[in-house]
Amino acid sequence: MELLYQYAWAIPVLPLFGATIVGVGLIAFNKETNQLRGGISAFLVSLIGMAMVLSLAIFWDQFQGHDAYTKMIEWAAAGDFRLKMGYTIDHLTAMMLVVVTTVAFLVMIYTDGYMAHDKSYVRFYAYLSLFSSSMLGLVISPNLIQVYVFWELVGMCSYLLIGFWFDRKAASEACQKAFVTNRVGDFGLLLGILGLYWATQSFDFGVIGDRLGELVSSGSMSGSVAALLAILVFLGPVAKSAQFPLHVWLPDAMEGPTPISALIHAATMVAAGVFLIARMFPVFEHVPAAMTVIAWTGAITAFIGATTAITQNDIKKGLAYSTMSQLGYMVMAMGCGAYSAGLFHLVTHAYFKAMLFLGSGSVIHGMEVVVGHNAAYAQDMRLMGGLRKHMPITATTFLIGTLAICGIPPFAGFWSKDEILHQAYEANPGLWMVGFVTAGITAFYMFRMYFSTFEGEFRGENKAMLAVIDGEQALLLGKKAKGDHAEDHHHDHEPHESPWAMTLPLMVLAVPSIGIGLLGTPFNNYFESFIHAPGEVFTQGAVDLPEFLIMGGSSVGIGLIGITLAVMMYVQGKIDPAKWAKSNPSLYALSKNKWYFDEIYDLVFVKTTRRLARQVLEVDYKVVDGLVNLTGFVTLLSGEGLKYLENGRAQFYALIVFGAVLGLVIFSGVS
Amino acid sequence: MLSSFPWLSAVIVLPLVAAAFIPVIPDKEGKTVRWYALGASFVNFALIIYALWQNYDFQQPGYQLSESLDWIPALGLTWSLAIDGLSMPLVVLTGLVTTLAILAGWQVKQKPRLFYGLMLVMFGAQLGVFCAQDLLQFFLIWELELVPVYILIAIWGGPKRRYAATKFILYTAISSIFILIAGLAMAFYGDTVTFNLTQLGLKDYPLGFAMLCYLGFLIAYGVKLSMFPFHTWLPDAHGEASAPVSMLLAGVLLKMGGYAMIRMNVQMLPDAHVYFAPMLAVLGVVNVVYGALVSFAQRNLKRRMAYSSISHMGFVLLGIAAYTELGMNGALLQMISHGLIAAALFFLAGVTYDRTHTLNLDEMGGLAKKMPAAFALFTIASMASLALPGMSGFVGELEVFVGFTTSDIYTTSFKVVLVVLAAVGLIVTPVYLLSMLREMFYGKEGKAVAGQVFLDAKPRELFIAASFLVPIILVGFYPRLLTQAYDATTVQIATDARNAIPTLASGDLVTLPQVSMAPAIEALANVSLTR
Repeated sequence: MELLYQYAWAIPVLPLFGATIVGVGLIAFNKETNQLRGGISAFLVSLIGMAMVLSLAIFWDQFQGHDAYTKMIEWAAAGDFRLKMGYTIDHLTAMMLVVVTTVAFLVMIYTDGYMAHDKSYVRFYAYLSLFSSSMLGLVISPNLIQVYVFWELVGMCSYLLIGFWFDRKAASEACQKAFVTNRVGDFGLLLGILGLYWATQSFDFGVIGDRLGELVSSGSMSGSVAALLAILVFLGPVAKSAQFPLHVWLPDAMEGPTPISALIHAATMVAAGVFLIARMFPVFEHVPAAMTVIAWTGAITAFIGATTAITQNDIKKGLAYSTMSQLGYMVMAMGCGAYSAGLFHLVTHAYFKAMLFLGSGSVIHGMEVVVGHNAAYAQDMRLMGGLRKHMPITATTFLIGTLAICGIPPFAGFWSKDEILHQAYEANPGLWMVGFVTAGITAFYMFRMYFSTFEGEFRGENKAMLAVIDGEQALLLGKKAKGDHAEDHHHDHEPHESPWAMTLPLMVLAVPSIGIGLLGTPFNNYFESFIHAPGEVFTQGAVDLPEFLIMGGSSVGIGLIGITLAVMMYVQGKIDPAKWAKSNPSLYALSKNKWYFDEIYDLVFVKTTRRLARQVLEVDYKVVDGLVNLTGFVTLLSGEGLKYLENGRAQFYALIVFGAVLGLVIFSGVS
Repeated sequence: MLSSFPWLSAVIVLPLVAAAFIPVIPDKEGKTVRWYALGASFVNFALIIYALWQNYDFQQPGYQLSESLDWIPALGLTWSLAIDGLSMPLVVLTGLVTTLAILAGWQVKQKPRLFYGLMLVMFGAQLGVFCAQDLLQFFLIWELELVPVYILIAIWGGPKRRYAATKFILYTAISSIFILIAGLAMAFYGDTVTFNLTQLGLKDYPLGFAMLCYLGFLIAYGVKLSMFPFHTWLPDAHGEASAPVSMLLAGVLLKMGGYAMIRMNVQMLPDAHVYFAPMLAVLGVVNVVYGALVSFAQRNLKRRMAYSSISHMGFVLLGIAAYTELGMNGALLQMISHGLIAAALFFLAGVTYDRTHTLNLDEMGGLAKKMPAAFALFTIASMASLALPGMSGFVGELEVFVGFTTSDIYTTSFKVVLVVLAAVGLIVTPVYLLSMLREMFYGKEGKAVAGQVFLDAKPRELFIAASFLVPIILVGFYPRLLTQAYDATTVQIATDARNAIPTLASGDLVTLPQVSMAPAIEALANVSLTR
């Protein structure tokens, strides 16, 4: 099986190869390449399929107990400095490879249905392949520099995909916001990498951890400096995994086509932050202060995300805040030292959230038949309702995903979330409390979403509701009501189920969403025996059944309370949500306006930077330029000199200057 | 290894001779001339590659392909040429950028003979600057090269071309007088009179004298490199020049400043460099952040790119000041990489200007739909410029960052402040570059775009852009491809520079800027007293 490892580099290279060919084709032979739609998608899907087969083989081999494998080449060198790149395959990598390739493969099949009518179908596939390649490169990275390289590359792919529909203003702003916010995180990450290299002369995870541990314990480096470096590195995951306070880009990223929301902004790229924390675990575990910061960042994010998701009407935005909240759980787990639990939630979440997003895409696809190609209508849950009758497969899989995320046993989310809450309780009951309350809110908003989308009456042609949305859009864009989509001709009065290319991936994803949690039950934890923190030895301890029942029971309990509340509000109508909103206006506004993060950042960062840039420009123009120009010289020139130049004999002037200089040379040379 | 054939003279003289024949070429519509110029340029580029391939040893740190000839013996002026790992990559860059710039100027209708002639003259002059071994010869070619640039800006530039060209020549000509003064002072210092760069470096100058000479060179090369506060000519010149000329300005001419700074300030005056290095590092960081901020405020596409160049040149200064092998390696890599990236960006700006006839970002928008290929190329070039990994800009900046961080001659607090500030540039750079992309290509169609029919990038334009982007990506993927060609030399330069650092009694190196400028100021005072 050694051969398998020697050729493991092919996993990221295969999709890169495809993306390069199609990309060059698109630039050089645009029309011809765009006509080869089916051929190109089949080609790219089969490449990712090959990568998936390789990944599964490697996973199986690792599961059988093969040693970790690393292969490096010298990448950059200057004098004595050597920087190596390559790939490393261990349990964590093997697991991530499988998650990324399977989700990417299914999403690419789904794309064929979702993007069937898009003119840029081929370009979308090229971007997807490029992203898959970068993401796979990230998970096989053996050192921090290579992580940084692919970290930025997945960010770039995310930028390209969010801005995929470049003629939409919102998309063009969202993609820039995503890239710049991520650069803020990368700024910290780079400084952290530099600082750690300065302290330990290494970019290698394990070596950094060992040396940093020695430095701190021997007292040659103060704990606070180590904590600062660790937190700087953590800024990278904060941005990439949409953690408070750098989470603002993720909801806006929903401007991208839905398949990438599922692949990039739910299952894989946003989880890269959690992956990096796992890779950096040998470093972080020496720095308790950093672990505390990580845990609380995750907890706060989980809470903010869930409370914002409650009031969202856009189905994708709701799911985005839910993703943010779930990522918060994972980060909190990592911060508590619950390495295995955090990564387990990463895996289960990757599958059920990908399914939920693809489900929402299927809903949007169905809605577009009725309300037209306008994201403001097609994604608004107030226009949905009753879709279960028209889209049974989508509705069923969405319900499975909803149950999974709410932590109802035996669905996947229950096991992973319960594990996290359990370990959080042991670390700090305060963290557990936040996670516990958030679990209840999660159950509420997810069922609110399910009920308003799939149950009740279809409201797609409700004139009053359309008018309300028009009004909101007008307020948002500052335009007159009735957008430019009014003339969109609608084909139908009823939504329909999506084609098989879209429903098949949904059904496939439903399998792990139901069953994968069983790999990580506390009774027989296959997952933890495979993935546990480096340096730890896994032992399958006896389960304290009463404790499990209390912890599990209470989290199921609060989930059921949330669900009941959702049923009373959105099915039975016993509680009127509007009335509740009116009686708590400030709380409602806080949630509805996403805790005002965008407004605050706009005021504090965006406007300040603009103003600063303009002021610096003024200084540059008036002070620096003026001073160095030797104001007198300029007046002289602009008066007499330029008058002379104006009559078109500029060359002559140059000759004079040249002659003068030459004369000076000869003069000074002779004398 | 000495080659009998004077390869360097040949590649410098060939384009000049070719230019001399341009007035007599029979040509009616300017079509023969452009083929002729392109052919001459391409042959010369091929000749450069061939000469290096045959005669250059990449593992040798010292000068190679040396040749020397008495030129004007009365002045002690010799025509001597040689290249080492510092100049060799820049010679190749010059060949590539100039050839592609001539191809980019395919559509020049106004005075084509003069245009192509001047481009060929530029080719020779640029090579001369990088190859010259005699200070006086260096100075003459340095000055000679200003004239074609001046004319190229003044005739084929934008609306404010006269102002820009005059400002350019005033800044560079006045500042380069300092080269002459400092050079002559150094040449006549001591017992022997010599203009040879190597021998000038071997002389032992008193510290105060060395520092004055260093300052003179620093001003001259700082202007060329667009070092703050001498950078303000650059946005005018780069902004007003036509695309092919901007390609040369940003791709090659900026690098002359960095090259000469390493060649003379660092190599010839290492004792003075110790005292100026902290200032260089500070100015480098100022360039990075200041350039990025001003760039963000610009509404003119080419001025935005020009300030972006200023920002990127800051990393060269930081690398030069790092006093590590890695920093020096990174400084040179950053120069080469920026040469490719800036040339690509200015070329692409020319491609869109050709269609929209505006450089005002407010009037553009929505170009992506009409020019998908140009959009893709622009995106790739911008990503390269914002130092996206996988492209050469990232490697250069990373090397400078790591090189400066690991430098052992600065105090920790000094390094922390500078590295953090330089890293702020990493945040501002995508802000202005992505805003530029957004304002040009995304969203609704702007005034200059709506209702127009544009041709997407033509095969010739695709070829030029690809010729820049392919090396950018290759170096980004595997930097050793490029760095191993010159690493021997940069290691040598960094080692020599480090040997000049005074050591404490304990044998440790002193740390900067704690050295304090006190001894330097004392030395300066001595000079002024004795004179």
